[in-house]
Amino acid sequence: MIDGREVIDFHGHVGRWDIFEMSDDTDEILHAMDAVGIDRCCLFNIFHPDGATGNDQTAAFVSRYPERFIGFAYVSPLMSEFMVPELERAIDELGFLAIKIYPPYSRWQLNDPVWNPVYQFADDRGLAIISHTGAEETCWPVYVEDIAGCYPNANFVIAHAGNSEPYRSQAIRAAQRFSNVYVETCSTFREPGVIERLVAEAGADRVIFGSDVPLMDPRTQLGKIITARIGDCEKRLVLGENAKRLLRL
Amino acid sequence: MSLSFRSRVPVFDANVGIGNRHDRRSPVDSPGQLPEEMSRHGVDRALVYAVQGEWISPMQGNDSLAVWTEENEALVPQFVAGCDSGSLRQLCNFHRNGVVSSVRLHNTEECRLPFVSWLYGDLLAWLSAEGIPLWISLVDTPPAEIVDTLGGYPDLTVVLVGAHYTHSMMIRPMMRVLPNAFLELSRYENICGIEKLVREFGAGRLLYGSFFPRYAMGPMLFALHHLEISDGDLRLICAANLERVLYD
Repeated sequence: MIDGREVIDFHGHVGRWDIFEMSDDTDEILHAMDAVGIDRCCLFNIFHPDGATGNDQTAAFVSRYPERFIGFAYVSPLMSEFMVPELERAIDELGFLAIKIYPPYSRWQLNDPVWNPVYQFADDRGLAIISHTGAEETCWPVYVEDIAGCYPNANFVIAHAGNSEPYRSQAIRAAQRFSNVYVETCSTFREPGVIERLVAEAGADRVIFGSDVPLMDPRTQLGKIITARIGDCEKRLVLGENAKRLLRL
Repeated sequence: MSLSFRSRVPVFDANVGIGNRHDRRSPVDSPGQLPEEMSRHGVDRALVYAVQGEWISPMQGNDSLAVWTEENEALVPQFVAGCDSGSLRQLCNFHRNGVVSSVRLHNTEECRLPFVSWLYGDLLAWLSAEGIPLWISLVDTPPAEIVDTLGGYPDLTVVLVGAHYTHSMMIRPMMRVLPNAFLELSRYENICGIEKLVREFGAGRLLYGSFFPRYAMGPMLFALHHLEISDGDLRLICAANLERVLYD
């Protein structure tokens, strides 16, 4: 809790990425979360295109501290025949609350029809989808403008808020055009003024705190919000209230 | 936990760029704005270099430093070095005037120059002889060149700047093989990574730097205040180590 309000980290990983010394060590993740008052963290595993392998790892991880972790379902069009059945299993049986996609691990752009079954599933269930975005050709935020209006019951969360320019501006424009588009804050690009700009231009009710834990330590990423020149009401929205609304917590 | 933050220990930022780059305007492009930004986070002093020196001209960048530092004792000048003899002559002149406490290597990658002794040997030999520490950006110079080249200058103190999670596999081996190296922490966001470094190497080899304006000044300082380290270690990292590197 920070200032008596629940803090939710919308962007975390399960799995290992050895060259970056990333490992999903529960003790380390909880240690870093507890140090700065992060109550819950949303987690997904993006390393297995069948979906089920990673989603089962996520479910096992979440089950150890269900009051601290929230599972998101991952699927990939590399094994498109599993996408919808795995989403049904992950949401209905594993109890996951949202969907993660990672276009750079496929060859399809975010607006390619191959992703439509995922978007339709989210639209039917009123779920949030968080997608990696950035400079990679498959995941420019501008593509979100092609899909957000077609699936008005789904909510699209632009991870990393595009990361850098011109993609950050694309992310802001998508949030300005569509009421079901949000921007998420985790990024290794921590230039001055980014959080201030996201809040001013996308709106404080559309900015969601994320950390990329355990690839990055959530303490620095949380520090971006705390040290930004924005008001306390805006910080509360970004740090938890928007995520609670999106996940219906 | 509160929604606001200001450092509770003295802070001497080891990595602040001033002025505008040729291709990027700084968010604090006049001398009065930087102290305001520092004050907001509780940063008392900053080691400042001219960002013009990173790529376009170390010599012109160094000449422009005085406008900022002579007006404000909280800003300590850091001079940028290239590999040419004119750059070294300029540094020697500044040093004769007693104002050189550290030197920063220019961006060798953007300048398309290898960091090798046959290009930088005169500079490195001079720094070693004068006991002047050298800042080297891991973002801007290949780590393999840094390790290979610095091996020939065992007395030189270096500060490695901008380590990132993409350097994860290299940082600890670099710290072991370069016993005179300090690590600046602006971009080191590995989970519990700084706590692990403190346990392995001690807080005495770590420096807080923001890498402002490439990076915001507050987030890493906030993170350092929420590590499981002693208050003494926090004080070393935030200011005391840098004072030792510059002035001992």
